[in-house]
Amino acid sequence: MSVIVNGQALPLSEPETIASLLLILAPLPPFAVARNEEFVPRTAYAECRIYPGDRIDIVHPTVGG
Amino acid sequence: MKTGEIEDQFILFGQRFTSRLLLGTARYQSPRQLTDAIEAANPAMVTVSVRRQLSGAKDAGKTFWNLLRETRRTILPNTAGCHSAREAVNTACMARELLETNLIKLEVIGDEVNLQPDPFSLVEAATELIELGFQVLPYCTEDWVLCKRLMDAGCEVLMPWAAPIGTGQGPRNPFALRELRQRAPHIPLIIDAGIGLPSQACEVMEWGFDGVLLNTAVSRASDPVRMAVAFSNAVEAGRSAFLAGPMIVQERAVPSTPEIGRPFLADSYPLASRTP
Repeated sequence: MSVIVNGQALPLSEPETIASLLLILAPLPPFAVARNEEFVPRTAYAECRIYPGDRIDIVHPTVGG
Repeated sequence: MKTGEIEDQFILFGQRFTSRLLLGTARYQSPRQLTDAIEAANPAMVTVSVRRQLSGAKDAGKTFWNLLRETRRTILPNTAGCHSAREAVNTACMARELLETNLIKLEVIGDEVNLQPDPFSLVEAATELIELGFQVLPYCTEDWVLCKRLMDAGCEVLMPWAAPIGTGQGPRNPFALRELRQRAPHIPLIIDAGIGLPSQACEVMEWGFDGVLLNTAVSRASDPVRMAVAFSNAVEAGRSAFLAGPMIVQERAVPSTPEIGRPFLADSYPLASRTP
């Protein structure tokens, strides 16, 4: 299946949850996650299932005004 | 401690700050320049944003996070670039988890040309975020009804613009800003966006605003660190001037030096000694 991670299509061999996706992507902390524009709290990574075509955003702190 | 300093407390959400300047962290030429400017400005808070982690720069967030922590400033995350209440609320939630703070500078942009806040979505987002336990600092305009709605929604601080973001034009609508200050005398009001010069920051502080948030005016100066000092001094000077109570403007000239005893004044000579 394929999901969109930070705006780019990513073919994946069936990751079922945000937690398993993060194991593959290994983003450096600190980061936060949204699935289909909805915030996913850290405590929900293991239960939050991913479906084909889902849009995942992984964000980190950066400069801002 | 000088007289008056004890009474002049700047308190936001129960936290006391010694500075009334809030500084943005964007558009500096280097991380070193940013930290030097923060050091020089001594701001109460520094603003940050959340953005996608790019695959080629995975450690950028960590590096920036470490740099922020070293500055030991209160961090104020923003929802910059959000165009709907839903986007803003979800961005705020991500920022809260990332940066471990309930503070949020709420931006909901309603127009691409002047980056003006969307007043309707702003109130909607503020209401929801306050219900979620956030401490909301909304970036708003000087519109009185909007400010009233935000206060009704539970906002404890308002951040009206001086002018559109990044323009450096200074207060575009001084009359409405001063009227806002008069009509909302007790809520902290921080001027956010559009300030270009220290004199403008000083002026709004003289009008009784509680603080100033700026970014580009410092980061895009030829010498940002020196400009950071200039703004810090200006904000302090403006606050002192407000507290000191400015004189009332007069229609006519009034000599400041006493007239009594001025030499060569005809009336002060005894009549007998006058030359005919």
